[in-house]
Amino acid sequence: MPQMFRQGRFWVQLCVVVALIAFAGLLINNITVNLIRTGLGLDFGWLWRPAGFALAETALPYAPTDSYAWALTVGWLNSLKVILMGLLLATTLGVAAGAARSSRNRLLRSLSGGYVALIRQVPLLLQLLFWYFVAFLGLPDTPVGGLIHFSNQGIRLLGLNLSVEFCSVLTGLVVFTGASIAEIVRGGINAVSRGQWEAFRSLGLSEGLGLRRIVLPQALPAILPALTSQYLNLAKNSTLAIAVGYADLYAVSDTTITQTGRAIEGFLLLLLSFLLLNLILSGGMALMNRVVLGRLQRSR
Amino acid sequence: MNRWLDRWLTLLLLALIGWAGWSCLHWLWRGADWTVVMTNLPLYAVGSYPEAERWRPLLCIAAVVVLIAITLFGPRQGGWRRAIPLLWSGMAPLGLWLLAGGLGLAPVGTQSWGGFSLTLLLTAGSGMLALPLGVLLALGRRSDLPVLRGSSTAYIELMRAVPLIAVLFFGQLLIPLFLPPGVELNRVLRAVLAFALFAAAYIAEDVRGGLQAIPPTQREAAMVLGLSPRQTLQLVVLPQAFRVALPSLTNQAVGLLQNTSLMAILGLVELLGISRSLLANPAFIGRYLEVYIWLAAVYWLACTAMALLARHLEIQLDPVRSAR
Repeated sequence: MPQMFRQGRFWVQLCVVVALIAFAGLLINNITVNLIRTGLGLDFGWLWRPAGFALAETALPYAPTDSYAWALTVGWLNSLKVILMGLLLATTLGVAAGAARSSRNRLLRSLSGGYVALIRQVPLLLQLLFWYFVAFLGLPDTPVGGLIHFSNQGIRLLGLNLSVEFCSVLTGLVVFTGASIAEIVRGGINAVSRGQWEAFRSLGLSEGLGLRRIVLPQALPAILPALTSQYLNLAKNSTLAIAVGYADLYAVSDTTITQTGRAIEGFLLLLLSFLLLNLILSGGMALMNRVVLGRLQRSR
Repeated sequence: MNRWLDRWLTLLLLALIGWAGWSCLHWLWRGADWTVVMTNLPLYAVGSYPEAERWRPLLCIAAVVVLIAITLFGPRQGGWRRAIPLLWSGMAPLGLWLLAGGLGLAPVGTQSWGGFSLTLLLTAGSGMLALPLGVLLALGRRSDLPVLRGSSTAYIELMRAVPLIAVLFFGQLLIPLFLPPGVELNRVLRAVLAFALFAAAYIAEDVRGGLQAIPPTQREAAMVLGLSPRQTLQLVVLPQAFRVALPSLTNQAVGLLQNTSLMAILGLVELLGISRSLLANPAFIGRYLEVYIWLAAVYWLACTAMALLARHLEIQLDPVRSAR
């Protein structure tokens, strides 16, 4: 019987392989036929040709005479900028809002609950459009504010100039991801037993200190893994920047593909960049996870 | 000391809320002009669907709303209760027939589908395609066969690494390239297909989580009772796994509904797309806030209804309750 079972498994496996190969073959056949029909081959030579389009916002010097490859790199850096700042601010907002859910102040608690309930049920794209067209483009033409200058041309903070597009994408991502992080933090805090709260309160520690020193460190092992997937979501969601005209990696890829007609190559490059980004993010989070857990173990 | 801090915090928050509320009221009385919403309600509902046939998508939306109401607030016991799953499964073909026409109704091309009815169709269509595909992928990822496991894992991980907008964009662009010459899919179908391929990877992970939560003893017990591997899966493992995975599947469904808004970037006139074209109309120039608040309310209601339905289903499937 086991022999027969094994043989059966072998045949199933063979069938799967044959079916997969046949399916892939069909797709590849179709795509070659179509590529020949449209006169396009697989080719990356266009990467070194001048891009010819301007980018509104660049972290490194860029001119339209530079190559497509450089334009894509600059777009990648723009993505990275908004993602990294977004991670930092969304975490801050999320932890604050999540901790506020277990505050003793009822008003603060319900405010935070309302924020999460509202933001999570409205599409991110709609929120981004709101921040861009209503909030930031609705600012006055002439700068207002003292230390920070607000206007519909951008925000100037000391020597730092932030464009309206960047600010809208950043705000949208932070507010949206912050709500999800708040839910995770709340779940993590709830998982810490009530006895811990009662213990630090009876020791005379203040709410804030107890939260930071007693409760949050114990909630971290439950929070960190879920946080990683939120960070990856934020990175992926940053591609919606195209809707408000921020020149991120996806927007630049989009323009590049429209100009060159190289959809497959463009898609492959985008896929690679995102795989790289995901690897960096999840690698960083895995490292943090280890460090945090290690420190927790040592302190016990 | 602590109490004082608390009081100051309350005062500060009250001041903030008061200020925000006052600005809102001021805007509502002085600045808000809802004609952009009021005069275009049919457009938001059905898009540029031919005037004479508008009753069809409207009927479709009404049927869904009534069905939700019956499910949530209808009778808790009796024959009605048993008819509800049947009604829901009949809704999809009925809706498709009403929108597309044929069989006695005048056919209407997908290019004139739009508004909330298109949003509903995109959500339901891609969800129904993605669910079986996701279950297959989840089973594939847990299979003992290395080839099947490897290819499922690769598909899931690759799909989950890419942003949705890229999948949708390249779905529009690349799906025609992968099809044999002469075969064509229209924009809406390509969107549904790309959506489903994307969502299936996420659903697969949720279902896999559910499968992992089922102790191996369940499978062993079923085998001992003489159930075939397929029966074991169908009657014992999958039903339990679904119950475990339901909350996360709900989140996916709500996400799916929200993400249909991305099709606006690619030029489909679903709820957000129709609003973008309305805002480009010189008669409604600058009425962003009214339109966005209106859209947010519609999406919020739709998502909340979906979450409530799922919560309802969770209670229905609860073994402790249904044993009674």
